[in-house]
Amino acid sequence: MSESELTMATGHEVVMEASPYHMEKKKLGMWIFIVSDACTFATFLFGYGYMRVGSQNWGTPFEFSSILNGIIMTFVLLSSSLTMLAAVRATQAGQKASAIKWLGLTMLLGAIFAALHLREWFKMFGEGWGLFSNPMGGAHQFGACFFSVTGLHLTHVVTGVIALAFIARGYNRGRYDASHVETAGLYWHFVDLVWMFVFPLMYLMNAAR
Amino acid sequence: MSSKQEPGMSSYAGIVVGLMIIVVIEVILTYQHLPVRTLLFCLLCLASLEAFVGIMYLMHVKYESPLLFWTIFPATLFVLVMLNYLWPDAYRMARMSLGY
Repeated sequence: MSESELTMATGHEVVMEASPYHMEKKKLGMWIFIVSDACTFATFLFGYGYMRVGSQNWGTPFEFSSILNGIIMTFVLLSSSLTMLAAVRATQAGQKASAIKWLGLTMLLGAIFAALHLREWFKMFGEGWGLFSNPMGGAHQFGACFFSVTGLHLTHVVTGVIALAFIARGYNRGRYDASHVETAGLYWHFVDLVWMFVFPLMYLMNAAR
Repeated sequence: MSSKQEPGMSSYAGIVVGLMIIVVIEVILTYQHLPVRTLLFCLLCLASLEAFVGIMYLMHVKYESPLLFWTIFPATLFVLVMLNYLWPDAYRMARMSLGY
């Protein structure tokens, strides 16, 4: 019920209480989603830890070339956080052309990350790794854990790129404002920060011998 | 709609470069042939530091109402602590596979 409808229904002016968080509903909603999604990723990573501790002959498939690929992916994702911040700043300053440019660059970096990730995956498929296969002859759970965790993260990145494309188009047409871009930015930074756990736990811990 | 003055883009660039340096430190540590538990502890500490810096600065929690921090942080920490119930069973599986 809107404020005017409440006024008509009650016969006197309604005092709307300010949000204790001092932020818009969509931004608070995004924070609640981020907390729940963080718990989802935490569950996946704890499940991976459970499998790894409980299994013998865990796979260590990553040579330095894979780690280098992972470093480049990490730098690409961190750079995309910076371009996202620039996009938010530009929208807050009302610089539409600049905002679209920075959003486009963020999407491009996200797409590069996804492409590098898929290249790594297909290289592993070629070596015989899969959800239920381990060419090294050890625990089969490695593939299940690796492809589940990185697949969940890759899904988030691809979803983020698509969401940013919609937000950029809506912002360009005047349908969305700076707060929409800022809320999308929160999601993008979250996806970036999740990778800060996925990379050391899934790549670096499986490169150590 | 942040309540405090946010830093400029140059400060954000410095934060992102700092995060990249932490990633490089993680990779260097990986190839120091540390015991697995020591390496895991070091990597988790560094990753947590990256996450904290990212949440506070890139996601602007430092510049929002403190209530936001006190809403999300204890709830997430509670879930993370509760997930540790898995470990005794994981070690039981490891002992079984070793034939203890």
